[in-house]
Amino acid sequence: MRRYETIFITHPDLSKESLLELQEKLNSIMTSWKGDLIKLDDWGTKKLGYGIRKNTRGHYFLLDYLAAPELVRELERNLRLNDGVLKFQTVKIGDQVSADAAKKLKEEASADKSIKVSDRPSLPGDQLAIESKKEEGELVESEGEKKNETSS
Amino acid sequence: MKPQVRKKRPFQRRKVCIFCADSGLKINYKDVKTLNHFVTERGKILPRRISGNCARHQRDLTAAIKRARNIALMSFSIVST
Repeated sequence: MRRYETIFITHPDLSKESLLELQEKLNSIMTSWKGDLIKLDDWGTKKLGYGIRKNTRGHYFLLDYLAAPELVRELERNLRLNDGVLKFQTVKIGDQVSADAAKKLKEEASADKSIKVSDRPSLPGDQLAIESKKEEGELVESEGEKKNETSS
Repeated sequence: MKPQVRKKRPFQRRKVCIFCADSGLKINYKDVKTLNHFVTERGKILPRRISGNCARHQRDLTAAIKRARNIALMSFSIVST
């Protein structure tokens, strides 16, 4: 199993339902392709470095998982089809991660994100991002009619 | 002995690579705060002769900045007003 990390940016005004739908989709891919999800981080809405499809802001998500390369292909295909997703990027962080290591990673991810952040001392902004994530997750409501028009 | 022909530089830059000096500092493309130290105001990557990074870390840094740009965490160029 390899360890990958996918960042994807969704439309900032995407409704909660379509976000959930997207998440479910990702989860179903994970299970059907025997991937192992370590964590799904919600970074909240951030300003983009440059405009993407006329958007200056975007909702960032970080997906950290163990998988075979086939899963990545399938995942990216689905992200590409989804209209709500502005951009995505997958990076391989580890080759041949063993099952034990995976377990450990999972525990770490669920237990203390804060410690990971404080490993790098000069970054108070990161901590803010994680804290604000909980609130920001609830912000996106209304506009139920912006669902995925693709998924053909 | 060769006579010293080269002019002396007016000032000395720090010569040590920050990442070598501080092993706790890791180069990560998601870590925009750190990466931002190594780009100009216009968003260009600083050359090694300015930043003083070693070859390996400059390489890693460049890759990280490019990744960050690709996912819009950093901008390719900042147009001055």
